[in-house]
Amino acid sequence: MSDRRLIVFNLLRGVAAISLALAVAAIFIFISSDEPLTALKYLLVGPVVSFKATGNVFNTTSFLTILAAMIPTIFSGLAVCVMFSANQFNLGGEGAIMLGGFVGALLGIYLDLNTGLHQVVCVLAGAVAGGLIMLIPAILKVKLGASEMVTSLMMNYVVMFVILHFLNFVFADRSKGATQTFPFLETARIPEIISNGTKLTWGFVVALIFVVIIALFMYRTKWGYAIRMIGINQSFAQYSGMQVGTVIILSQVIGGMLSGMGGSIEVLGRFSTFLWRELPGYGWLGITIAILAKNNPIFVPFAAFFIAYLNKGCNLMATYSDVPSEMIDIIQAAIFLFFAAEQFLAKYRQRIVVRNAQRDLALQETAASQGGINS
Amino acid sequence: MEQEVIVEQKEIVEQEDFVVQMRGISKVYPNGIAANKDVDFLLRRGEIHAIMGENGAGKSTLMKILFGLEQPTSGEILINGQSVAITSPNKAISLGIGMVHQHFMLVPSLTVAENIVLGMAPTTKSRFLIDFKKAVQIAEENAARYNLRIDPNAKVIDIPVGMKQKVEILKALVRGAKILILDEPTAVLTTQETSELFKELIALKEQGFTIIFISHKLKEIKQITDRLTIMRGGRSMGVYNTADISEKEISRLMVGRDVVLKVVKDKSQPTETVLKVRDLEYTNRWNKKMLDKVSFSVRKGEILGIAGVEGNGQRELVEMLFNLNTPDAGTVTVCGESIVNLSQDKIRNRGVSLVPEDRMTYGIADIASIEENVISDRFGNKRFNKGPLFNMREIHHESQNLIVDYRILAKSPKQQVKMLSGGNIQKVVVARELSSMPTLLIADQPTRGIDVGATEFIRNEIVELSRGGTAVLLVSADLNEVIELSDSLIVMYGGKIVGYFEDSSQLDDLTMGEYMLGLKHQTEEEIAKVSYE
Repeated sequence: MSDRRLIVFNLLRGVAAISLALAVAAIFIFISSDEPLTALKYLLVGPVVSFKATGNVFNTTSFLTILAAMIPTIFSGLAVCVMFSANQFNLGGEGAIMLGGFVGALLGIYLDLNTGLHQVVCVLAGAVAGGLIMLIPAILKVKLGASEMVTSLMMNYVVMFVILHFLNFVFADRSKGATQTFPFLETARIPEIISNGTKLTWGFVVALIFVVIIALFMYRTKWGYAIRMIGINQSFAQYSGMQVGTVIILSQVIGGMLSGMGGSIEVLGRFSTFLWRELPGYGWLGITIAILAKNNPIFVPFAAFFIAYLNKGCNLMATYSDVPSEMIDIIQAAIFLFFAAEQFLAKYRQRIVVRNAQRDLALQETAASQGGINS
Repeated sequence: MEQEVIVEQKEIVEQEDFVVQMRGISKVYPNGIAANKDVDFLLRRGEIHAIMGENGAGKSTLMKILFGLEQPTSGEILINGQSVAITSPNKAISLGIGMVHQHFMLVPSLTVAENIVLGMAPTTKSRFLIDFKKAVQIAEENAARYNLRIDPNAKVIDIPVGMKQKVEILKALVRGAKILILDEPTAVLTTQETSELFKELIALKEQGFTIIFISHKLKEIKQITDRLTIMRGGRSMGVYNTADISEKEISRLMVGRDVVLKVVKDKSQPTETVLKVRDLEYTNRWNKKMLDKVSFSVRKGEILGIAGVEGNGQRELVEMLFNLNTPDAGTVTVCGESIVNLSQDKIRNRGVSLVPEDRMTYGIADIASIEENVISDRFGNKRFNKGPLFNMREIHHESQNLIVDYRILAKSPKQQVKMLSGGNIQKVVVARELSSMPTLLIADQPTRGIDVGATEFIRNEIVELSRGGTAVLLVSADLNEVIELSDSLIVMYGGKIVGYFEDSSQLDDLTMGEYMLGLKHQTEEEIAKVSYE
């Protein structure tokens, strides 16, 4: 597998999957639009190019907003990577993100600390809240054998309604027309890297740092190793003497902490009060991202960028042409289909494998005929 | 010279009556393993034809291609002179090819008759209900016609292995098979059951059936087959009349050298008792008593073998010793301390190692690398960690050493374990389990289904370990292996120990067969001798 040609093939397969998906999207656009070329233009290059009478220029602001949109999804993508690597199909990211955001927001309003320290405390509290809530599906799984997929999925709604209850009846700012909390203290808000209104906050840097941390954690520590081995073969892990139950819980708690952290960073960076009235949707995106990244943390930012770019393109297309923004769902579904299908281009892959095997064989035989070791 | 042989063969083809001709078959699996390389296989009508070769030689692949389970990468298949594409087992069956797999494909909870007619069950007049009486009748008629004795009303779960095999053969015959492929049919049978099977196969041959017999047991091949094809490294090493070729010659062609299947070992000098098992009992969830007051001891420096036909409690016993299952009653101690209900890492910390029976389920994580597989029991050691991070250099060093010491044939330590051959996968498991210098090694079917070279190597490693002072408990269904490798030996039958032989070098397979089939058993006093204090 370490053959260079196969690596190139896998990369090409990724590109081909995306191209095919976009081709399918293009077909739908041609069917549903009277101005398909304009629509395609906005979808494909709109996110980074401004179309002006004087010519097309690179749109830095728009590019930075795409990066800003990646902040929560990098965290949720990492969370899903860790949990799916342990073969735990925990879908509670949504709830953990919302809870993390809510807890971070409350501490941002009611806690009085110096700037710098305040943000760190809020974000860590969000992470702890996310980790604690994930203990519920994790422990139910380990102690009672309840499917974490079902329990975590249902838990999302419990978490959401509990938060809404407290938001409506305890923490609401009655002076405002909409249901929202009091504004965060200035000391708690996460500033932009360059103040230009793009919402590209220092959270982006933190997210990238966590990509590295989680990659190291998964591939260079004993805990990450145990998580991966349990994911590949739980019987093997148990027989080898790993603490399977503990590690299963650990993986989900880490997933919850990453989600909670992403939630609080997003809330304290993008908004000035807590105003989420429903599940924010980043958890679901995290699943898409983790699948695109094949559960490898290093690929998460790229997958997150792709999704953010696509989102932006679709929004622009919906604004400036007559194609509905629902189109993005069709494109995403098509990408999923092509990525998830392991057999995609399998015939071509088989040809490469056959060719490589024959080459190896020929080499061995020459070696053998020259009196080398016949392996 | 080779060319002449091929020309000769082509001439023969035109004169002779071949039911199956496979020509120039090559197969490369998606994982890159070239399992067959330009193989020719010609089957005469009405013969018993052996395919011999070590594991990984490509026998199974060739037969899977013939049975439609795999598609050849290139090559041609002719059945009765007609070129065919065998795209599925259904197609193979319609062409009159039947296969009896090494691991039976039966539904345990259904009766023998139901299994035989599965998928083609006779219906009552209403056409919605299965006519069970008719099914039993079909089973009985065919059993009588082919002289295969079965009990059509028994549930498959309750019948012995030998009968299961007959059910498999009947299944194929009822579906109209004229060519039978038997994949290592004797691997799970006792000596007596084997000779019964051979009589039946010869009877089938006389009725005009053609039989392909996959095996690597030399004696059996000599006894029953007319011709044999030898495979090595994915290639055919030629076709021979069984009568014209000596066992030595066969073994030379199979492995390219003369195999010494004898294990050379000094006499054991056992010292203190390590493992003590007392009155172990276990009833499984189908209410079958799998372990019935099992007591024995293993001492430092000796190899105690457990012989027995599979399914007589050996698997359950091993599960209890490694806490993969909980006994109903009884005690297990290692060096005086109980290990019942201890977690696996604590059991391992007491110096217990296990080479599991099913290497793919317990032994390895298939898509992980060799390196990741050999450190699975020791990755938490201080040696392999630097603060929170792994000490990658130590880990590389360890895996590199194990690959060299245990002669694992791999491109690199980063190679996925599932890309290795069966023998090398088993060496990965053995490398991990033996290199931890255990006080007690439990080796459960340590050489099942692997090639002669790896088998020999693993057996020698086990002997060496035991002579260095490790207590070894060897469980094996391979009679030759338990007799050769063990110092002393117990036989299990029906969940009980039925015999204890202090010196296994005095044993022969016929006597053993009688104990394994439950025809003989020793008195309780004799058996109690294996329980040392």
